[in-house]
Amino acid sequence: MTLLTQAFLLLWKDTLLELRRRDSLLTMFFFGILLLFVFNFAFDLAPDRIAEMAPGLLWLAFLFTGTLGLAQLFQAERENHNLDALLLSPLDGGALFLAKATFNLMLMVLVEIVVIPLFWILFNLRLWNLLPQVFLVTLLGTIGFCVLGTLMSALTLRARARELLLPLVLFPLMIPVILATIRCMEEVLRTGQFGDQIGWLRLLLGFDVIFLTAGVLIFDWVIES
Amino acid sequence: MRVTVDKLAKAFGFLWALRDLNLDLAAGECVALLGPNGAGKTTLLKLLGGLITPTTGAIRFDNATFSRGVPELRARIGLLAPADHLYENLTAKENLHFFTQLYNRNSVAPTLDAALEQVGLLQRGGDYVANLSSGMKCRLSIAKWLLLQPELLLVDEPYGVLDGSGVDLLESFLKQQCARGGIIIMASHHVSRVLSLCNRAVILSHGRLTFDEAKQRPWPSFDKAFSEFLPHGGS
Repeated sequence: MTLLTQAFLLLWKDTLLELRRRDSLLTMFFFGILLLFVFNFAFDLAPDRIAEMAPGLLWLAFLFTGTLGLAQLFQAERENHNLDALLLSPLDGGALFLAKATFNLMLMVLVEIVVIPLFWILFNLRLWNLLPQVFLVTLLGTIGFCVLGTLMSALTLRARARELLLPLVLFPLMIPVILATIRCMEEVLRTGQFGDQIGWLRLLLGFDVIFLTAGVLIFDWVIES
Repeated sequence: MRVTVDKLAKAFGFLWALRDLNLDLAAGECVALLGPNGAGKTTLLKLLGGLITPTTGAIRFDNATFSRGVPELRARIGLLAPADHLYENLTAKENLHFFTQLYNRNSVAPTLDAALEQVGLLQRGGDYVANLSSGMKCRLSIAKWLLLQPELLLVDEPYGVLDGSGVDLLESFLKQQCARGGIIIMASHHVSRVLSLCNRAVILSHGRLTFDEAKQRPWPSFDKAFSEFLPHGGS
């Protein structure tokens, strides 16, 4: 059984479990929407400050909702010692990593599909034509978040206060992704194109590729330890 | 298959859970793994299953050193832990499908149905595992390993949750496994029951192997070791 077949099988299992429990997705949706309303009440965004503020606020919402998803990522494996069942099997650790990262990415993309247009509506933004570029940057940033988040989530799996520990470990390492996505999004909202911020986009791509490869290679060791 | 355990030791921090353990297991052997609580039985099962790595020593399967990095070897080992290793929000049948696929075994519906029928769960195949009783979950675990056919099956305290017919089912499954050349290592506190099934007994005490003999009748050496190391032994 190849790495991808194993990853697909695990992804099928996780999707089926999520469809039945709906724990992660519903929590993420409601929390994301709640944050937008809080931001909407707290900030009065003037049109000339939109490009400056919107990316940061959006990413704050994605970081918090994404962390909620990550905290639940290995929930099914924690029950009934199912992680042991997977470790006992001939499963490649890389496949488990790919499946978990993809699953978290799916959840986050679903949340973002709702949250981004809602942000546009709540803050009365008129830049609907820029949504594809915003989505592209968000997707690249989300891949980086999910890839690194899955690694950190596995690292803190057996820790006692894992829900507290996860953001403490993850957020500092996410700084390059946060910085790159905010700079790119800011430029897109300001000028309608990536312009001279294309370097940040390359950094995002590089981050995604490096941590995706590293995750596949070292996940066996991460999950064992 | 032949399993050789060579000077195996496992420490958790400063605590040695297992020390200098040597074992040689041949195909068809059914070994009773006995010992008081904290003797190192579960640690030994986890080491043999590759769930933890030894501090020193090695485990060999047919002269190949076992490490987690060899998935082909892992596919030959099973761990029957009653009511564990099953996804609660998948149905009984979905669990079997998932694990047979993972082990690259036959996962077509008639095969899964046959296994469920063998353990008396055919009518409950569509039920979520969360809705099954502990005994039924144990039966489902038996069905899982019936399908996966491991060469080395580690069994961890199976009797607690099974009713009479469940115990018969488990024992007939374990006998079948041995008859086809599999190795069984069964950790249990139900001494008389496990001894009636196994053809060899191993006693661990404080992480050390204190007794290892093939079954005899009568068995005075076992009785002596039993009273010495399992003073408050099971039934």
